[in-house]
Amino acid sequence: MKKNLKYAFILLSICAVCAFALGLTNSITAPVIAQTERENEMMALKAVSNGWSVGEQAETQGVPFVIYTVPLTENNEKRGYIVGLKGAGYGGELTLVASYTLEGEMLFAKMLTNSETPGLGKKSEQEGYMDMFKGTGSVKAVPTTKDMLDSSDAAAVSGSSVTFMAIGKAIAGGSDYVKSLGGSK
Amino acid sequence: MKNNHMKELTKGFFEQNPVFVVALGLCPVLGVSTQVSNAIGMTAGVFFVLLFSNIIISMLRNVIPGSIHIPAYIVVIASLVTVTEMVMHAFVPAVYNSLGVYLPLIVVNCIILGRAEAFASKNTTFDSALDAIGMSIGFGLAITLIALIRELFGSGTITLFPVGGFSGVITIPWFYENPVRVLALAPGALLVMGYLKAFFDWKSSLKKGK
Repeated sequence: MKKNLKYAFILLSICAVCAFALGLTNSITAPVIAQTERENEMMALKAVSNGWSVGEQAETQGVPFVIYTVPLTENNEKRGYIVGLKGAGYGGELTLVASYTLEGEMLFAKMLTNSETPGLGKKSEQEGYMDMFKGTGSVKAVPTTKDMLDSSDAAAVSGSSVTFMAIGKAIAGGSDYVKSLGGSK
Repeated sequence: MKNNHMKELTKGFFEQNPVFVVALGLCPVLGVSTQVSNAIGMTAGVFFVLLFSNIIISMLRNVIPGSIHIPAYIVVIASLVTVTEMVMHAFVPAVYNSLGVYLPLIVVNCIILGRAEAFASKNTTFDSALDAIGMSIGFGLAITLIALIRELFGSGTITLFPVGGFSGVITIPWFYENPVRVLALAPGALLVMGYLKAFFDWKSSLKKGK
């Protein structure tokens, strides 16, 4: 009994010191990480805005895949939306932003955060990866399975199907939500 | 005495190289050796975690009883990996993003726990630090060599870190136009690793006079 208590005390002491060190590191790094993520998000919003003016961000609740929407305007006339999206990738949650016309057609998309596998799912960060989703969501359906892609795009997502499907479903969810806003009416 | 310290430092370079000789920590070696910059980033992470875990475990070697040494080591190593992850996320986000899931996986890297168990728990703090430095350099040499071969022959580029006007990517003309694509893919990692291990085994057998 005494021996077990001694062991428990030693482990508790090690855990306490480690927890203090982690808390201290977190207090230093968390503000820097938050600032970097804000800057990345602002850059991503600008990159997908199609040259239109970016409006105020509005949070959404209980809508699958959608985190927030940002209206896009030109000469005070609404042209579309940027939608903040989330999906379930191979390495956990991934977030991205995509811009849509009022009819739900996807214009541009950019990956924000992900924990996908380097060399496979991480390819989704590369320039050109999101091109396979461009122009879909309105007349043409958003590809959510590999058989909806042409052969070269299907080869490009080979080995990272889970990431591709997570992105496809999120973009499709964003498109459906934009259509439900009824901006084109 | 001085020679002994020197031996602890240098044994990890080639004689007991953790990758090519002891064959430890192969998962990140195969996974992130797609670019030289990834290899250098992973080496930095392993260096920090291995150095401090060896120092801490060596200092606590007379305090931690044998029956709870594994959970105690894991707590120390996991904390150091989390610190590394937070620092990289905050100050070198590009490296953090490129290392992806392999960075938290340093926790279960056999080199770290292996050196803690086999060396740091039985030797002085100074020798444990030297062992960690030597093993990290050996790991770094191995992963960087594999990454250099894979990136040069597989993509025709050498990716370092952007500094000022330098984008960080060096394009090597002939290789860039004639890449051996398989080397940049997952099977390429196994091929390069296999050939390099065979080469080091051959060199070591020559040295032993077999």
